[in-house]
Amino acid sequence: MIEVKNLTFSYRKDKQALHGLNFTVEDGEIFGFLGPNGSGKSTTQKILTGILKGHGGKVSLFGQDISAACSREFFQKIGVLFEFPYLYANLSAVDNLNYFASFYPKEQRRDAGELLEMLEFKTDFLKKPVSSYSKGMRQRVSMARALMSRPRLLFLDEPTSGLDPSGAVLFRTIIEQERKKGTTVFVTTHNMTDADLLCDRVAFIVGGNIAALDTPKNLKEKNSSHRVVIDYLYQGQRETKSIETPELEAGIPFAHDEIISIHSQEPTLEDMFIQYTGRGLS
Amino acid sequence: MGKEFCALFKKDCRMLASGKFFQMAIGFLVLYTAYVNLGYIRFMQMPPYHVYLYDPDGTQTEKSPLVHTVSSMEDMNTALLSDANGVGLDASAGEVQVILYKGAEHVDRHRADYALSLLRPSSSPAPEVLGTNTPEQKARKEIACELLFFELAAVGFLGIAALLFKEKGMGVIRVHAVLPLRKGMFLLSKLAVFLLSDLVFAVLLTLLNVGLADGAAVLPAVLLQTALLSFMMALVGLLCALLLKDFRQFTLAYLVIAIFAATPVFLSANTSVKFDWIGWHPFYHVYIGLKNAYFGTAISPIYYAGAAAAIALLFLAVLLSFRREIGKEG
Repeated sequence: MIEVKNLTFSYRKDKQALHGLNFTVEDGEIFGFLGPNGSGKSTTQKILTGILKGHGGKVSLFGQDISAACSREFFQKIGVLFEFPYLYANLSAVDNLNYFASFYPKEQRRDAGELLEMLEFKTDFLKKPVSSYSKGMRQRVSMARALMSRPRLLFLDEPTSGLDPSGAVLFRTIIEQERKKGTTVFVTTHNMTDADLLCDRVAFIVGGNIAALDTPKNLKEKNSSHRVVIDYLYQGQRETKSIETPELEAGIPFAHDEIISIHSQEPTLEDMFIQYTGRGLS
Repeated sequence: MGKEFCALFKKDCRMLASGKFFQMAIGFLVLYTAYVNLGYIRFMQMPPYHVYLYDPDGTQTEKSPLVHTVSSMEDMNTALLSDANGVGLDASAGEVQVILYKGAEHVDRHRADYALSLLRPSSSPAPEVLGTNTPEQKARKEIACELLFFELAAVGFLGIAALLFKEKGMGVIRVHAVLPLRKGMFLLSKLAVFLLSDLVFAVLLTLLNVGLADGAAVLPAVLLQTALLSFMMALVGLLCALLLKDFRQFTLAYLVIAIFAATPVFLSANTSVKFDWIGWHPFYHVYIGLKNAYFGTAISPIYYAGAAAAIALLFLAVLLSFRREIGKEG
């Protein structure tokens, strides 16, 4: 679906934002692009969505070079959720969606009402202007806008930003459902939980370079200490022991009355990010 | 293409309606019409200066009815004190003596000549009158031209910039960058809304203030000039909105542009003040084009070529700035 070879980009001669990125995104894959502010995430997404011109290297989408692909047909096939919910504040959710939908062929459009219902949008706000919505509600309308054209390729920038925990779970479920329909998803995020739970593969980008690219599971396993920490009770006393994982194969290798908990010492995706890039995600 | 243009056009109309732009335009139309019909025309028909005559012996038998007779020099002084632009004529000593508060020398001469001419109105030489407009028709066309120029150059320009700043602020311009539409359409729909609104405004302003018959006669030429000025100002407004950071910066630029565009143009076109460089001022030619349209004077094809080139260049600059804007960081 997406093929990027040696992608470079400079805003000015002395300000190179991307230093030769290489990655591919397969059809139906959820691909995470993770990096701190200023790392080149948005620049990459803008190049992939045809907004930024003048890059170096090769970028292909839908099997076509991006410079040739940026036609009306190309934009009909993609859906983009921006980091901020960009909507007409004076129009209602339905009016916004109907307006943006009017640029797509009729047979491609999804019903605005159904989409908003799926996104658990409060029905009493349907006809009220966007200016009266909370950030989470605006994000739901923006997500509906990105989905309403049944895109084959979905670009999501911080999809769960501004949502409460249940909203974030709902969004992740919807993204999963889209993938099941065959949609390819390119997620740009700071949010390691989203990346870990959603993405088939993630790329860590820092300073315009990809520092690591693999499945979240592999990234964590490769760097695991392969130890578990066991909390247990023995003779009325609570105790904690750290052991190598293979030691568990023959059962708990020490005397105990009751096991309270067993924690694997696998690193988090955020730990991995910091390890690979030397930077946090702030 | 037609569908996407319609969607954009409808949305722009809604944006302008929600920003009370149309109500404002109607308000301006009512204000201008009231000013012209209830104030300006009456003012233009009034004599330039009041003339007071002290003639105890009744020597001035031919005097115009515009001359106010006073019964004493004290009354004359009182009248001139409350009307410093007035002119006093003292005929008590035989030869008429002019009395006035001193102003600019050339104006004082004019005031004196005018006052003396009212004593013998029949002996004033009848000048050859050029043109077919009555003084009222001329005044109506002049003021309608000035008001339309002001409305297009200042108010319409402000309106389109405000609309784009609103969309810029809401970030929706970036959404249009990833929609399947020709990006130029986004700008063309705005130009079309403003063009249509300016044309309707020009029709109403002309018919209400120049008169139905006279207004209808000059309307085709006026609408052509309105369209040219509307395009230019809308494009300048779009360019400012795209290049400047926020509306505060724009208001400063607006003041400069409004002063630069309006002041020397009005001075050179409507008064005896003539600047050597005014021929280089693009809006002077646009204003003269509009004035010529109201007075039915032929307009040079070179002017049309220049206006078309200016519109094409401005559109290109706006399109480039728009492409730059949609690629900006979020």
